[in-house]
Amino acid sequence: MLSAPLVVGASFAYLLLLFGVAHFGDRRARQGRSVIGNAWVYAFSMGVYCTAWTYFGSIGRAASSGVWFLPIYLGPTLAMVLAWMVVRKMIRISRSYRITSIADFIASRYGKSRLLAALVTLIAVVGILPYVALQLKAIASGYAVLTTAPGASPAAVGAWWLDSTLYIALALAGFTIAFGTRHLDTTERHEGMVAAIAVESVIKLLAFLAVGAFVTWGLFDGPADIFARGRAVPDIDRLLRLEQGAPFAYAQWFALTLLAMLSVVFLPRQFQMMVVENVDERHLKRAAWVFPLYMLAINAFVLPIALGGLLHFGIGAADPETFVLSLPLAVGQHALALVAFIGGLSAATGMVIVEAIAISTMVCNDLVMPWLLRTQRFGAAADSDLGGTLLAIRRAVIVALLLLGYLYFRLAGEAYALVSIGLISFAAVAQFAPALLGGMYWKGGTRAGALAGMAAGFALWAYTLMLPSIAKSGWWPDAFLKRGPFGIELLKPEQFLGLAGLDGLTHSLFWSLLANGALYFAVSMWRGPSARDASQALLFVDVFERSSATAAGSGPVFWRGRAKVADLLGLAGRFLGRDTAQRVFADYARRAGVARVEQIPPDAQLVHFVETQLAGAIGGASARVMVASVVEEEPLALDDVMRILDEASQLRAYSQALEEKSHSLEKATAELRMANEQLKSLDRLKDDFMSSVTHELRTPLTSIRALAELMQADADMDAAHRRQFLAIVVGETERLTRLVSQVLDMAKIESGHAEWRDAEVDLRALLDQAVQTTSEMFHERGATLTLQMPQQLRTLRADPDRLTQVLLNLLGNAAKFVPREGGRVDVRLLADEAGATVEVQDNGPGVPPEQQQVVFEKFRQGGDALNRPQGTGLGLPISRQIVEHFGGRMWLRSEPGQGACFGFVLPWKGKCVAEAGRQNGEETNDDLQDPDRR
Amino acid sequence: MFKGLTAQRLLAVFALGWLLLNFPLLSVWDRSVIVWGIPLLPAALFVGWAVLIVLLAWITERSQD
Repeated sequence: MLSAPLVVGASFAYLLLLFGVAHFGDRRARQGRSVIGNAWVYAFSMGVYCTAWTYFGSIGRAASSGVWFLPIYLGPTLAMVLAWMVVRKMIRISRSYRITSIADFIASRYGKSRLLAALVTLIAVVGILPYVALQLKAIASGYAVLTTAPGASPAAVGAWWLDSTLYIALALAGFTIAFGTRHLDTTERHEGMVAAIAVESVIKLLAFLAVGAFVTWGLFDGPADIFARGRAVPDIDRLLRLEQGAPFAYAQWFALTLLAMLSVVFLPRQFQMMVVENVDERHLKRAAWVFPLYMLAINAFVLPIALGGLLHFGIGAADPETFVLSLPLAVGQHALALVAFIGGLSAATGMVIVEAIAISTMVCNDLVMPWLLRTQRFGAAADSDLGGTLLAIRRAVIVALLLLGYLYFRLAGEAYALVSIGLISFAAVAQFAPALLGGMYWKGGTRAGALAGMAAGFALWAYTLMLPSIAKSGWWPDAFLKRGPFGIELLKPEQFLGLAGLDGLTHSLFWSLLANGALYFAVSMWRGPSARDASQALLFVDVFERSSATAAGSGPVFWRGRAKVADLLGLAGRFLGRDTAQRVFADYARRAGVARVEQIPPDAQLVHFVETQLAGAIGGASARVMVASVVEEEPLALDDVMRILDEASQLRAYSQALEEKSHSLEKATAELRMANEQLKSLDRLKDDFMSSVTHELRTPLTSIRALAELMQADADMDAAHRRQFLAIVVGETERLTRLVSQVLDMAKIESGHAEWRDAEVDLRALLDQAVQTTSEMFHERGATLTLQMPQQLRTLRADPDRLTQVLLNLLGNAAKFVPREGGRVDVRLLADEAGATVEVQDNGPGVPPEQQQVVFEKFRQGGDALNRPQGTGLGLPISRQIVEHFGGRMWLRSEPGQGACFGFVLPWKGKCVAEAGRQNGEETNDDLQDPDRR
Repeated sequence: MFKGLTAQRLLAVFALGWLLLNFPLLSVWDRSVIVWGIPLLPAALFVGWAVLIVLLAWITERSQD
């Protein structure tokens, strides 16, 4: 055994450590360097779910029924699977409307009903008492195991003032007050407490794992050894199977899983940690798997410790719930036993601290404040600062809660196992499920429905679970359990309406949730929502659609009336403190775009803003009442709600339309800019063209002029010379004429003014004719020409003269470039489904790759400047224009040394395409209209 | 809320969890068999639980929204 002062001293040292962590966290928060702003701290702070129940109770449960301790952790794992959808929505709602407790959440959803807030608070307080008692019992029995000599029975509980459990309760109350109610925060966030709870979670996990590892590998030879030895004992072997002498109670397994799944979100402390203390919704993503992993880790050694204890002490010889302490003690590991006790203390205190803070907020805001505000001294007319009063109320509530927990411990604690006590609390908070979940996803839920459902569920819970637990402890005659009240068998609490065959918990859960859900939906649908119900329902159910809009100031605010800024500022000052209120209003003024607080327009937005701020301090329901007391309100009808909603959505639609318009304007600007660029480049092209044309014109003109001047100066020039000069002048003049007519031709085609005389064209005949026309030219250069054509070819619609022009140009080019000796030109005509293809292949020097792109441009002649044959540089561009006019395409294929192959394809129905294009405007404008085509 | 790939995956894992860790699949593991020295029933429950956590971690850590 350990000495009592040592245990007490270690416990206080540990609590002081936690307090130091909390102090550090608070100080860092004030400096703006939060220590809890990461997902790991958030996940570990959720570990407050694992209380003394886990630490001591699970082992007791495992020692009596094997794997039955598990549903309590499997349920939360399943809940965390859905957390990203469900809990995130709760966080978003709470953040948007400054909700600080689960009572506030439910009441706010149903028209900020004070009655509903009070009912939720009442259920939470009554429901949570057994749970607090459980922690007290665990610490008390753990302390007794540590400090009692082996073999001696624990001292009988004497008079109440000698009971150490009472002092444990008071000490815990003191610490909770120090943790959570040192100052008032408008958002009810306690950074220091969260940091302390995260540390507490780590400590209890490590302590439990240490004992588990010691039992598994210290006392035994690994898990295989424990299980092998356990299976040799029939009573222990039984624990490792589902059917332990009775059929497997799958209904109870299901009920426990469901219950735990609901509790992990709805227990006041879980709501506080997961929703209220959440710093960033994205942390939820990691916490969603880290928290289940934490639970898996802390449960891994439960079965080995339970079996190890049973094997070590013998079945029934020691209390399995304290195996985690008694096993190390029994083999003289006192230090380990003390560590284990600190871990258990850690689990219990963590739960008590967070639960008591959450409950004190609820009781203060939702039970005491509404009543207090109605009295003369604190009412709307009073001018006192309420901050101090609020803190005093909360402290009193914490002390009262711990004392009530102690009372329940004295009344019923001895008769029940830890797990059974905890499950009573779980079943109580499960009553929040229909109203809360229904309210988040169903707009039809009403205040009356929520009230009726929850009241009925709570009443049935109390009648079928809470009362029997007290009666079975011997404080109450249990006759009504066995025969029913007044002898009415049908009303027996544990077989209500004759429903038998279920265990007490499943039986109670079934009846209470059935009545709760049925009444919630039935009453909601019977009467339909009021204006206030409907407006809050919209804000809650569509929070993801509205929260961003609210931030921008365009969300719907369901309020109508007249208000004065000074009144609202005064009201805020009373609850938030004058300085804070002034700062908050100044912020609002800045966002509203006015210089001074007095200039803020006293509209619905402002009233909503003040109400939300107050809600953080005194709860949504009380804030509603207080705001209503300083402004002149007009009652809203359901029609008004719908109208306001319409306006808001219209506003949103307008802003969306505006956005779209500005987007399309931007697009139009970009298009215009592009068109302008194109025009500029066309302009540049035109300039280039002009300079090229004049250059080409000047060359023949220069030679004509030179020759003419020579002839003019030399009158005696001989006839032969003169004839030679005149021949050159005529040749140059012809070249000039050709050039001018080509330029004109080009200009006409480009501007779309060219005349096209379309007819049915037989390409074979056309090609034949062109080859004959040029045959003399090829003959002169000593080149051979071959022609391949199909026997039959359908006609196509085009201008035969123009096509001949194209063919002659291609053949002429080929003739110019073939070598003097052994020149060879192959002309091919091919036909396929799409159109007719003409290719002219020569065996000349070919076109170098860098020039292939430019040969189709105006005045860009192929070949180098020295041995370039005569030409205008317009033949190919004109040919291409013609081919493209008929919807075709012209190309060049050439590899150096392999000759060049010019070709074009004409579609059978190409003209229609070109025609359609021309109807839209000038060809050159096509690109303007559709810049994307490039 | 329940749209998007992440949400659908989570819903699927939720359904899988209910099936895996509840009656009647639970009775499949209820045999007098030893796996690596551990009786099948607790081993299966813990392994199923771990599988859920791994899936959950995979889904949530991947999601971008």
